[in-house]
Amino acid sequence: MGNPRVKTDRKPPPAGRPAAPGIRQSMSGLHTWVGLLLGWVLYAMFLTGTVAYFKDELSQWMRPELPHQTEVPDQALVAQRVADALVAIAPGSPQWSLRLPDARNNSVYAFWRTAAAPGQRGFGEASFDPATGRKVTSRETMGGDFFYRFHFQFHYMPVIWGRWIAGVAAMFMLVAIVSGVITHKKIFVDFFTFRWGKGQRSWLDAHNALSVFGLPFHAMITYSGLVTLMALYMPWGEQAAIRTPAERQQLTAELSAFIQPGKPSGETAPLASIEDMVRHAQERWGRDNVGRVTVTHAGDAAARVAVARGEAGRVSMSPQYMEFEGPTGRLLAVHEGVGAAAETRGVLYALHLGRFSDSVTRWLYFLVSLAGTAMVGTGLVMWTVKRRQKLADPERPHVGFRLVERLNIAGIAGLSIAMAAFLWANRLLPQGMADRASWEIHGFFIVWALTLAHAALRPARTAWIEQLWTAAALLALLPVLNAATTRRPLWHSLAEGDWVFAGTDLLCWGLAGLHAVLAIRTARHQPRLRPARKPDRDPMAGAALRKGEA
Amino acid sequence: MSHLPPLLLALAGFTALAFATDRQQHDLLGRPLPPSATRALRIAGAAALLLALGALVAWKGWGLGLVMFSGHASLAAGVVLGALILRARAAARAPKR
Repeated sequence: MGNPRVKTDRKPPPAGRPAAPGIRQSMSGLHTWVGLLLGWVLYAMFLTGTVAYFKDELSQWMRPELPHQTEVPDQALVAQRVADALVAIAPGSPQWSLRLPDARNNSVYAFWRTAAAPGQRGFGEASFDPATGRKVTSRETMGGDFFYRFHFQFHYMPVIWGRWIAGVAAMFMLVAIVSGVITHKKIFVDFFTFRWGKGQRSWLDAHNALSVFGLPFHAMITYSGLVTLMALYMPWGEQAAIRTPAERQQLTAELSAFIQPGKPSGETAPLASIEDMVRHAQERWGRDNVGRVTVTHAGDAAARVAVARGEAGRVSMSPQYMEFEGPTGRLLAVHEGVGAAAETRGVLYALHLGRFSDSVTRWLYFLVSLAGTAMVGTGLVMWTVKRRQKLADPERPHVGFRLVERLNIAGIAGLSIAMAAFLWANRLLPQGMADRASWEIHGFFIVWALTLAHAALRPARTAWIEQLWTAAALLALLPVLNAATTRRPLWHSLAEGDWVFAGTDLLCWGLAGLHAVLAIRTARHQPRLRPARKPDRDPMAGAALRKGEA
Repeated sequence: MSHLPPLLLALAGFTALAFATDRQQHDLLGRPLPPSATRALRIAGAAALLLALGALVAWKGWGLGLVMFSGHASLAAGVVLGALILRARAAARAPKR
């Protein structure tokens, strides 16, 4: 992040280029304000998105009734089992689709269009037990999908609004990245520079390190994030090029493996063996690498079945699927390639979601994304650090400063508390309660609102410390709560080799430690940043800054 | 093949590159290294990073290889900087107090 005094006073721009003097400074200003304006939205998107890299694992943790999956069950058998269930549950449905269990999922998520009155579009959805083909009986929860969806469409608002907000925020992020790189001219010289205990200078070093080390990721994730929703943000090309239903169908086929229902024939004909069709796909893509089975007009003579390839090991979300005739099981086509433009989208989409990752790569994604979160966080805090020294009266900062300061506390420390509270709610809300899944989410927002109120009412430094300690405590006690409320405490999952549960518990402790360190450092550090007698300290702070420059 | 060799290579690479900077030579060694040594460190560092990339690409192909390399490089740079910070803190504490 830019610091005009440090950045621009030092080396005058080369003579003979009159336009140059302003560029770095103006970029610095742009970076500061673009970063601040939607900084809290970006921070929340970054943190919930980071956690969403483990959304499948988190969903398992949030449904402790589903047994630990020691190995991936035979996907062909599971597909048949759940297909049978869906035939019974959704008769006459024009389309249903099920996601098969894999190394990261121990249940089968399925949704179906209901055969409602014409013109109406109804949906049903459920999770199924791979072993029995019956609906799972676990607590009602949105699981890790809440963080995933919040990350790009927020909540309590129409999905489209949320996605537009996410898009504007991502655009701001892109501007912040480019202007940040221009502002930070000494990327290579200062690559390994960190000056400890120098106030603003240290914050800037930290912000730079977090930004530069993860720069390929930050740029990729922002750009690819925009690409995932590009059809919403810039629909005109598509509108101009795609006019007929046939063209639309072709477009859909390039973008997803959800085959669209055509017209039913009206003639009944039972589905051929789904198991055999999935076997066919397993031979092509590997035993555990079938992703999804979609069926249109099951039970009708015009039924079609698409068996799609899984996401593992393939840096592209472009659909690959085998299409079968429903009643006979005859292979109609194998779709394994799309056009160059669609493939570009498919690759960027895959890069954003990282679902192709093995577990090490997923951890790399998580860690670098966490660094991105910290990049936004340090940027937000730096805005106040930088301005606090210049306040006329530190005891009575102006309203803008107070606003940013308080939003920072609730947006950063408060979000940690709210996210932990969401997991607490998952363990504490009574099973069978009405709208239980919604109340987990309401709990998240109620707690987040409380942290904002707390941040507004307490002195800023105290509020930081109290909220960071609260987050640390909630996270540290989560494994204890899990041990008390489920039959899968940490020692049990460690003994069983259940790394979904053990990993979640241990990660909670790791994050609790992180928050505790931040709380301790805030408690210790503050006197330096907020001197009792400002005029005495200011020259020293300036001297430290200049010295840090040398 | 596993993720360990590329990560170690990236760590070695960034360590060499860190030693090739003026600031770290001053902080860690107390004197600047001769230009030839600095150049050798830079080449060695870059070579180690390229080797890490090559190993990952040979193992997983360009798509996954590049993604994994990016992750390992980011992590390794962070670890090296973290180690430098810890060392500088320890050094600052030792002589004064």
